[in-house]
Amino acid sequence: MAITSIKNLKEFSTTNDRFEGAHTLCPGCAHSMIVRELMNCTDDNLVIATNTGCLEVSTAVYPFTSWDTSWIHIGFENAATAAAGAEAMFKARKKKGTLKDNNASTKFVAFGGDGSTYDIGFQWLSGAIERGHDFTYICLDNENYANTGGQRSSATPIGATTSTAQAGSHSYGKKEKKKDLVAIMAAHGAPYVAQLAPNKWKIMAKGFQKALETEGPCFINTVSPCCTEWKFDPKDTIGLADLATDSLMFPVYEIIDGHELNILYRPKNIITVEEYMAAQGRYKHLFKPEYRHIIDEVQKQVNKNWEMLQRREEARI
Amino acid sequence: MQDLRLLAQAKRGQRGLENKSGLVGWDEVTQGTVLPSFEGDATNIANLKSEERAYSNFNSYTATVASWRVKKPVFNRDICIDCQNCWVWCPDSSILSRDKQMLGIDYDHCKGCEVCVEVCPTNPKSLLMFGEYTELEEALAQWPEKKKKEK
Amino acid sequence: MAEKFDLQEREVWDGNYAASQALRQAQVDVVAAYPITPSTPIVENYGSYVANGYIDGEFVMVESEHAAMSGCVGASAAGGRVATATSSQGFALMTEVLYQASGMRLPIVLTVVNRALASPLNVRGDHSDMYLGRDSGWIQLDAFNAQEAYDMTLCAFKIGENHSVRLPVMVHQDGFITSHTAQNVYPLPDEVAYNFVGDFQPLDDMLDFSRPVTYGAQTEEDWHFEHKARQHKAIIDSRAVIEEVFAEFEKLSGRKYKRVESYMMEDAEVAIVALGTTVETAIVAARELREEGIKAGIVAPRCFRPFPYDAIREALENTKSVAVLDRSSPGGAMGALFNEVSAALYTTANRPLVTNFIYGLGGRDFSVAEAKRILKEQKAHAEAGHITTDIQQFSGLRGPKLGFFQTKRG
Repeated sequence: MAITSIKNLKEFSTTNDRFEGAHTLCPGCAHSMIVRELMNCTDDNLVIATNTGCLEVSTAVYPFTSWDTSWIHIGFENAATAAAGAEAMFKARKKKGTLKDNNASTKFVAFGGDGSTYDIGFQWLSGAIERGHDFTYICLDNENYANTGGQRSSATPIGATTSTAQAGSHSYGKKEKKKDLVAIMAAHGAPYVAQLAPNKWKIMAKGFQKALETEGPCFINTVSPCCTEWKFDPKDTIGLADLATDSLMFPVYEIIDGHELNILYRPKNIITVEEYMAAQGRYKHLFKPEYRHIIDEVQKQVNKNWEMLQRREEARI
Repeated sequence: MQDLRLLAQAKRGQRGLENKSGLVGWDEVTQGTVLPSFEGDATNIANLKSEERAYSNFNSYTATVASWRVKKPVFNRDICIDCQNCWVWCPDSSILSRDKQMLGIDYDHCKGCEVCVEVCPTNPKSLLMFGEYTELEEALAQWPEKKKKEK
Repeated sequence: MAEKFDLQEREVWDGNYAASQALRQAQVDVVAAYPITPSTPIVENYGSYVANGYIDGEFVMVESEHAAMSGCVGASAAGGRVATATSSQGFALMTEVLYQASGMRLPIVLTVVNRALASPLNVRGDHSDMYLGRDSGWIQLDAFNAQEAYDMTLCAFKIGENHSVRLPVMVHQDGFITSHTAQNVYPLPDEVAYNFVGDFQPLDDMLDFSRPVTYGAQTEEDWHFEHKARQHKAIIDSRAVIEEVFAEFEKLSGRKYKRVESYMMEDAEVAIVALGTTVETAIVAARELREEGIKAGIVAPRCFRPFPYDAIREALENTKSVAVLDRSSPGGAMGALFNEVSAALYTTANRPLVTNFIYGLGGRDFSVAEAKRILKEQKAHAEAGHITTDIQQFSGLRGPKLGFFQTKRG
């Protein structure tokens, strides 16, 4: 059974998994928590396209698939377009009446990591959103190319060390700010854009449902703590997501029709960026005296961003 | 019955595309690497529980990653409040819940990440990690008492 | 239901229009496209047929050719008829996805209006793009004029969508010379054309939720080889289906096609092997030379992939000297067509002499006079019993004569 309104976790737990185990994602990986929840929050037919990346190489290794619904992977960059093409075919066949079941509710979803979403697949995503296809793109943002050993992406935050933006005696790690993809997607005028987090499962499930129900292109950025590359104990994945949302490094909010911003989660006790960073090996070097100013810099940016989000929400435009 | 397996058990260990001499040859691989997830009509799959489904041998449901595990979570039914935190956050679809009740762990799919233990809110926890070869009774016998709140 | 389109028994169409009419008659469900010169009108026309109700389909104008082919892959896996068009740089950009389409065995039809690849930038016709696709696992059919562009496009759907084939198909025509030159074209009536192509028969349909399927699984060293072998067998075996489809098409249209076209080859001693519009130029040259007593003939692969190794051998085994013309810069090798024709001829008892001409790059004109000169050169080789020139020569090039490699062997 799937449910339309998720009241509580007990009720949610009666849904039947459509994302199967024995995939080969790392123990404790948040990707599968997010994907499972997307597939469990609806009982509509799903066509899912996935970019090359951790999720793809771990869930469809011949001759096994972990997907209980139609699924396609083409390349690193083009899941948005694969979903768009399938959606166009759905419309064409619906017109002609050549679908097996012309009345079944069918949704189109694309998954990509931040590498394939923020970087290499950016153009394909932008194109598919601009064209107005009725689909939902979900970015599993773990802020690096985890599948290939942790290179920097344009989603990697300042100060994190990666294999291609390394911390060392002359470097504090990545020097550039994280690209604000949520704002860019909202600027496309997409009807529903959100940033969600798996620790806030109910907000995330509702966001997913809203995106699936919204006609037109929707974009959701999800924080996916990566124990392997952020360097923390796999058991702490949800704890890390808590630190991410409560430090406001990953504020949880939605933007409707490109302008109406709603903050979906307001931490009761906002914690410092320092506390968030201290829990991860990728920021370890920032705690050396010569790099501590970077932590302060990030804290300033986070404060500014939170201020901006709150003002935009208050503006009610 | 803590280690309950609500599983289409007969399917476990089935391998897609293997014959007596090992992996099949070029003439028997699926066309275009396409993999069907189920056998027979799967129209209603969202409304079927695992044990009611006709998984194909290509479905990873039939496979196991148990060998990844060094330690295993053990479930103590007596303490569990069925909050389903473990169910929603298990990254390996390994928490077996039915009718709002947590019933056990799918040890073929559990990789031992310990997330379920970490998110368990009871005191003491209803899920704890034990050595892979610890028997259930042995584990339950070692279960800690309720911890007093630290001041 | 789609609106009725008025057609005359004889139309004056250029190659682009002819190809787009084939897409309309096949009632293609989805075209995902990013127009590029000289193929632009093919997808523009499809868009206008959709806009005016002549097709119940979806025209998706995407943001790049890579996305065009990506959209086609997604659409095709979703169980309907799919086509697009491209040329040159666009073809190069979609190359990554060409391999994915064929590996997933998706019967997409790609009409390629052949154009040179930059650098230097050039919009005119040569076969660089066609050659770039030669290892991509697609069936490649070559049309030499507008009528054939129409005929081959209809045949392409029927070949690729056949369940024993299930491969994507390219239909090539020469940029501008075919694509933009209006010629007489005799279309089939709409019903006849549609019934020839038939309803699309889905296989592993992503929109059939009674049987969810996974497309694009990863295969490593334990499975990849077997899949590529199976795919190769499928394209080699498609020869039989191609011949069946051509035979059926002949019954409807009276126009006969073969995997390798031969002109005046019954008693030919010298021959040109070429692709595209050059074939018609060469035929004129051969006819004129026959009046001078030179037994010249022309051989043209209609089907570039699967390469007609068998039929090429049959067509050329009794010749004495053959010139193989490659309209693509070979980049440090012999021309691809030369290599493949030579390989086929090496297995004949007679082993004719074979030379290679690189010609017509970037749309450089290829004249009847030049074709005659090349054939006469073959005659000289035949009489000498060995190749009397460089084995590879550039034809129609300004500046000092350019050629490479010599042999005195027979």
